[in-house]
Amino acid sequence: MPAKEYDVLIVGSGHSGGMAANILTKQGLSCLMLNAGPESDFDHNRVNKAVYDLPYRGFGKPGRLPHVYQANEFNANQWVDETENPYTHDPANLYNWVRVRLVGGRSLFWARQSFRLSDFEFKAGDLEGNGQNWPISLADLHPFYNRVEEIFRVSGRKEGWPEFPDGNFIEPQYGPDSDSIKKLSELGKARGMKFSKMRSSGGQGGLASSVNLLLPDAMATGKLDMVPNAIVREITTDKNTGLASGAHFVDRHSRHERHVKARVVVVAAGTLESTRLLLNSNIANSSGVLGRYLHDQIYGIQVVASVAEARDGKRPQGLMGGSAFIPRFRNLKKEEKRNFIKGYCVIINSGGGANPSLFAEYGEALQKKVDSYAGSCVSGSIFGERPPRYENHVRINKNVSDAWGIPALHIEVKDGDNERNMAKDAADSIEELFHAAGYDIVSKTPSFYPPGYSIHEVGTARMGNDPKTSVLNKYNQSHDIKNLFVVDGSSFVTCGWQNPTMTILALSMRASEYAADQLKKRAIG
Amino acid sequence: MIFSMKRRGFVKTLVALPAATGLAAQQAAQQAPANPQAPAIPVPGGRGGGAGAGRFGQGNIPKFEVAQPDAIGEPTQRFFTPAQFSALRKLSETLMPAMRGLPGALECGAPEFLDFLLGTSPAERQATYRRGLDTLNANAKKQFNKSFSELDATQADAIIRPLLTPVPWQYDLPKDPAQRFIAEAHRDIRTATVNSREYAATGAASGRRGGFGGGGSFILPIDPIYKG
Repeated sequence: MPAKEYDVLIVGSGHSGGMAANILTKQGLSCLMLNAGPESDFDHNRVNKAVYDLPYRGFGKPGRLPHVYQANEFNANQWVDETENPYTHDPANLYNWVRVRLVGGRSLFWARQSFRLSDFEFKAGDLEGNGQNWPISLADLHPFYNRVEEIFRVSGRKEGWPEFPDGNFIEPQYGPDSDSIKKLSELGKARGMKFSKMRSSGGQGGLASSVNLLLPDAMATGKLDMVPNAIVREITTDKNTGLASGAHFVDRHSRHERHVKARVVVVAAGTLESTRLLLNSNIANSSGVLGRYLHDQIYGIQVVASVAEARDGKRPQGLMGGSAFIPRFRNLKKEEKRNFIKGYCVIINSGGGANPSLFAEYGEALQKKVDSYAGSCVSGSIFGERPPRYENHVRINKNVSDAWGIPALHIEVKDGDNERNMAKDAADSIEELFHAAGYDIVSKTPSFYPPGYSIHEVGTARMGNDPKTSVLNKYNQSHDIKNLFVVDGSSFVTCGWQNPTMTILALSMRASEYAADQLKKRAIG
Repeated sequence: MIFSMKRRGFVKTLVALPAATGLAAQQAAQQAPANPQAPAIPVPGGRGGGAGAGRFGQGNIPKFEVAQPDAIGEPTQRFFTPAQFSALRKLSETLMPAMRGLPGALECGAPEFLDFLLGTSPAERQATYRRGLDTLNANAKKQFNKSFSELDATQADAIIRPLLTPVPWQYDLPKDPAQRFIAEAHRDIRTATVNSREYAATGAASGRRGGFGGGGSFILPIDPIYKG
């Protein structure tokens, strides 16, 4: 029986692929979604266990997931097994590629922080004088952000600050800030720090994933065929037209090879898997920048202080507790001259304790310290933007393949002075703020995790107006192959300090509507 | 395998399956080719295929009450040398003693567990521990002409205290090898203690809740690769 030809092949089922399926099927287009991994069924795939019943008492099997610092013995099975799916990097330049291969991808596990990029990011090139602008602005994405925020039930406080764009938010009833937060907020004003609240996706039933917010509607149209355990090896092109014609894939279990046909191909496998697929397919790279400008965010910088009046169990009522969010406040003006470009955000939490490792004590003396500081601490955790750099790139390593014989990625990313200077400024500025409030500094960590840790890797197939310097146009459409779209984070020009999920969703929605329109007009496919 | 939608949940729809029996059929069912036009074929049940496969899965196998290995056997110490292990026991007892009605590292078998853990750990971490324990013994010999395990509390403190440093971030451990070892070992001994069955049992018996390592939602292997 001849294989069916679909209108659209979608590779990947995370937020970006789920959104593509949601939009395209509602336009009446027949879609096939190939997923590299199996379905997850948490009713059957999870059991409650006491930590002492685990073989490694919660430590996890040593060396099993060396690049996934987020892994523990409880969740070890949710991450990609590196022995099946290897990648390489120079030992001196560690890169943590944190992957999930399940239907729904990383959308099953994300932290749900939900921000828009601002024009300080979309037009960063103007601000920084290096020309690295997106080909779109906030105004272009605004209507799509609105719709995404409605689907994901984003809550947040509207502020009217251009560097922290408001959205289509559910505004919760916030209680009054604790005195420890109020004091910081007052002091922050003179330092250019504006205190707001976290913005977050509520989703439904405790889940804000592709699998519960996007794919069910797509499936309900009857227009979506979904195939798990189908690993796409290569996108195929028509010899005569050069257009994408479908894909070769391999069954994860049987290793049988198959080919599917489609009029349009939408790649949504996650930044690095998408770029790996394009590189392995040897397509969409007339610019030579495919694989270039890989970047993400710096995580790990933290300052912890203790409020003396709250120590030793005293905690006067209303003094401690709650949280605040400080959006980017650095480099918002051209004339601001610092030893780094771009900026960072700060999450303030009040009312926590101090980790035992913060004290040079042991035994009973250590326990007394921990007890004394319990509930008295204020922390500032900082997330900053790494600049995109041409030299930070991925390429195919022809000497290493995955369990299905698909060549692996080699990742080459180095941090630079910009990251280090930004981290120092961030730690210094929050230390100074806490100090001004009279809080006792307990620890200050200007160090940050290796690249990739944030799981916000973006770039490598960036969008732009010039086909010579970008892979995609402003609709996430390949400059080279008009019926090929890449709708995940690989299209980013700059990542910003924000969690990229809302932007990925908005871009995928916009690109999918554009693709549907072009398909209906027969301008593509 | 193709999935279709009924109401708001995914419902698996078997669309194509070669005629086969037993296990072979079930495996084939998991691998059914993606062909939405193919008719559904029911999965046959019954005997497993092949010589010696016998009957299985009929629900007639009795369930025995069995004992657990940890409950019937002493841990066998395999990784550290006797001198290193003695030092580890002394270090564990010193850093995490029994206190406030809760058992300490020794009562919770932390040294024996760490012997197992380090025995399966990457070489760099093994070397950190071996060197660190050897250093404790060497310093004890130099200062008190005894092994570390033979020191009294004051003497042990004199060896350990200079090596204690605050560690704000576990990925930025001290550069000095001995300080690094103490930082790692202190964290590991505490964790191995509070995450032990003994610690949880004592905490539960005393009516205390929380802070005992706890538990969580354990994710089972999800559809591991079929190996034939």
